[in-house]
Amino acid sequence: MMKDRDTRLVSGKGQFVEDMELNDMAHLAFVGSSHAHAKIVHIDAAKALAMSGVITVITGKEILEHTNPLPIQADLKIPGGIWRLAKVYAMATDRARWFGEPVAAVIAEDERTAIKAADLVEVEYEVLPYVLDVKEAMKPDAPLLYEEWGDNKQVHLKFDFGDVNAAFKEADQTIKLIYSEGRASAFPLEGRAFLAQWEKNTEFLTVWGTFQTPFMARHNIAETLGLPEVKVKTIAADIGGAFGNKIHTYKENVVALASMLTGRPVKYIESQREWFVTGPHQRDVSWEGEIAFKKDGQVLGLKATVTHDLGVESTNKGIAATSIFPACCAVANAYHWKGMHIEGYGIVTNKSFYCAYRGYGKDKGIKFIESALDQVAKKLNMKPEEIRFKNFIQPDEFPYKQINNYTYDSGDYPAVLTKAVKMADLNGWREKQKELLVQGRHIGIGMAFTVEPAGVAIPNCQMGGITQARVKMLYDGTFEVYSDRTEIGQGSEKSHAIIVSDIIGCNIADIYVAPVTSDWIGQGPLSSRGAVYCASAVAKAAKILKEKLLRYASIYFEEAPEDIDTGDGKIFLRNDPEKSFTFKEMAHKVHVFPGPRGMGEEILKAHDHLPDVTTSWYSNITAETGSTYTTFCASADIEVVEVDLDTGITKILEHTHVHDAGKVISKQIVDGQIHGGIVQGIGEALTEELVYDENGILLNCSHADYLMPTALDAPDIKIGHLETPSPFTETGSKGMGEAPIIGGKAVVLSAIEDALSPFNVRVNESPVTREKLRNWILEAQKGIGGNAV
Amino acid sequence: MVVPIRLKVNGKEYDLKIEARATLLEVLREQVKIKSVHQGCQEGECGVCTVLLNGEPVYSCLTLAVQADGTEVTTVEGLMKDGELHPLMESFVENYAFQCGYCTPGFVMKAYYLLNKSDDLTEEAIRRGLVGNLCRCTGYVNIVKAIKAAAEKKRSGNWW
Repeated sequence: MMKDRDTRLVSGKGQFVEDMELNDMAHLAFVGSSHAHAKIVHIDAAKALAMSGVITVITGKEILEHTNPLPIQADLKIPGGIWRLAKVYAMATDRARWFGEPVAAVIAEDERTAIKAADLVEVEYEVLPYVLDVKEAMKPDAPLLYEEWGDNKQVHLKFDFGDVNAAFKEADQTIKLIYSEGRASAFPLEGRAFLAQWEKNTEFLTVWGTFQTPFMARHNIAETLGLPEVKVKTIAADIGGAFGNKIHTYKENVVALASMLTGRPVKYIESQREWFVTGPHQRDVSWEGEIAFKKDGQVLGLKATVTHDLGVESTNKGIAATSIFPACCAVANAYHWKGMHIEGYGIVTNKSFYCAYRGYGKDKGIKFIESALDQVAKKLNMKPEEIRFKNFIQPDEFPYKQINNYTYDSGDYPAVLTKAVKMADLNGWREKQKELLVQGRHIGIGMAFTVEPAGVAIPNCQMGGITQARVKMLYDGTFEVYSDRTEIGQGSEKSHAIIVSDIIGCNIADIYVAPVTSDWIGQGPLSSRGAVYCASAVAKAAKILKEKLLRYASIYFEEAPEDIDTGDGKIFLRNDPEKSFTFKEMAHKVHVFPGPRGMGEEILKAHDHLPDVTTSWYSNITAETGSTYTTFCASADIEVVEVDLDTGITKILEHTHVHDAGKVISKQIVDGQIHGGIVQGIGEALTEELVYDENGILLNCSHADYLMPTALDAPDIKIGHLETPSPFTETGSKGMGEAPIIGGKAVVLSAIEDALSPFNVRVNESPVTREKLRNWILEAQKGIGGNAV
Repeated sequence: MVVPIRLKVNGKEYDLKIEARATLLEVLREQVKIKSVHQGCQEGECGVCTVLLNGEPVYSCLTLAVQADGTEVTTVEGLMKDGELHPLMESFVENYAFQCGYCTPGFVMKAYYLLNKSDDLTEEAIRRGLVGNLCRCTGYVNIVKAIKAAAEKKRSGNWW
């Protein structure tokens, strides 16, 4: 690639927001609520304002005076259910609803002064009753977060897929299931960061920031600040990881307002501590259900309810609550079903808000059902792979209309699991497991299978399936590529360059993939849609541009376009490759000499003389069937762990991951996604959990107590690939950024349960901390007989 | 209180007047304008601000600049030679050892320190050596791979 991002970043030339400086720049720091729920009686900023270097203080008063409530981003009211959105502002106005919620902002000459002065802002609170637990929050006398709702239910969805009654009637047996996940999130090492510049003369606001989705952020900022959208531009800086955590928009509105009020550029760098405290948070769900199956292992039906602890109304209004849809639907996973009844609740509590984190709900359904399948296998004395092989959708059934109305594009699930079983040496490990048990060593072998829905398009939502791409050839024969797919570390720049180079035949070194700004319409990278929507739009633009270039070339060669081809940076005659132009020569002809008028009447009259293509892409299958997602990659995880009974330490001995994400554009990028996702999953499975104390104070808001895996906790990972191209995308690729964290977590729990099978312990809550594991073992050893239902 | 210190950063001498309370991180970023040293947690937990102080790795966020008086500081900028990437940095690029790149300069410096001590490290030793640096993107797999590849380069004399 022309601009080598890798070389730039490794040599410290990244341009993260913290690295950006503008003349006369001021700095902002927030004051966070010290209570879980409190009325803001009075804010006295006199001491802060008296401090040298402090410019101004923004409180709820200014927010009410100058801003609108945050705009709605998804409005998915469904008949018979509950769907509520509360009126919230970018900062608390009269009442704080969670510990750490920004209640004031100090703007000062430098960052240290702003932070110091923030400590001097005196906020008088009147503490209100609060609720921190969903069960408590659902009681009739619970303190209410949003009185206008009448209770704390934000969302209640009900889904009936197929015929659940028939499924249960046909069943030989059922098992009751409970399953829960702790509160966790991504918290990449760089938090949110913004630099806002209000231009007084042109009345134009530019915000550089950690925007995962700049186009959606622009809308949010413009709407909140009451500006015409055309007067706002958002630019994604180099972003230090996102994973969904940088989709929502709220603090940036205050930073932008600060620039408008002070007339100066204002910068805000969020500390890691604030990052943990002021969210977004994720997971924190509990399931109750029942699975129905035949004695030969065929699963038939499922009844389940999943309850989400959403914390307060999300700053990304409606988008966080929307994640309850895939949580309910994704339970269908890779299997045939007869009927399901699934309900999803979203309950508000006095904790930081919910938003996206790699998985976005789909993860929840899949982890739950994979755990359920293990239970069915155990009950029927089947092996975990047998129960899965028994129920898999078969390769000749695609495109497969799943019971949940998703249309699965393609796949060969038995081949994926077969390959994983072989690569992991499953049978060999089972033998070893028996031998080692005799020596008192508890080895566990886990299995998880994931079908990841990718590339979301939801009606009544900003995430409706919008995307835009532009590919153009410049005067010097280089190519510029634009799209809405922000580079957040997932390799979009590199993969777009590969796609364009492969299609057009130009050298990859001559391609520049531009940083993403709000100039490009689109949802950005989320829901693993990069390889589905954005890459398809880029590929489509490149294909159209190539056709154009062949038409231009046919004029200069005086040969038919079909007799001309491209490759290795050249355009040449198929029958006589020696006759060729480099793209640079071609560009010179197209743009300069002979220039457009040398192109021929038809091209000119069609206004087709510019080698520049802007286009969009929409999923045909979504248009035809309404399937919310377009591609469905498949993966199998097999993991071997050893549990130390005395310490409760789980050590991961081996991890095998076999993946089919359709056509692979870059193996290195796909493997990187797999490694990172699996290790995040391991963190969630073993150590990561946000814990609030009884006063609603977040106890672990640093890396010292919110424990992400270190290099020593992470295993080496064996990866196998299969390629079943998607018939529904331009490149045949499928989205795959989330499957690894899903299987990566589920498989750890499955493996620990297997290791503890002598104790009959059911591993159905996470994280499985050492303490928890020790308690389960101790209870089992006392003869209580484990916690199995 | 303003105090004078002398620092050698990547081979260049600096006479600086600094706030006595300033951390090495702040002085490097704000006064020496070394931007490869990222801010991160500023609590000594994440490792993105790792630099070498007389060849030993430190969290520059937990090191007072006055403690660094008279020392030699090395950052990734100092590993470059004539605009070329150091073989270790090349290994990071070749092995796709970073995704977002925010933690990368810290990892490069930690790895440089580890490899200077020994170019014959076991995987376990590499992983143990990296415990003070967090990465949320890569799952560490390719970082370990890059360091192994760099060790090979060092053994074959491709090193500086």
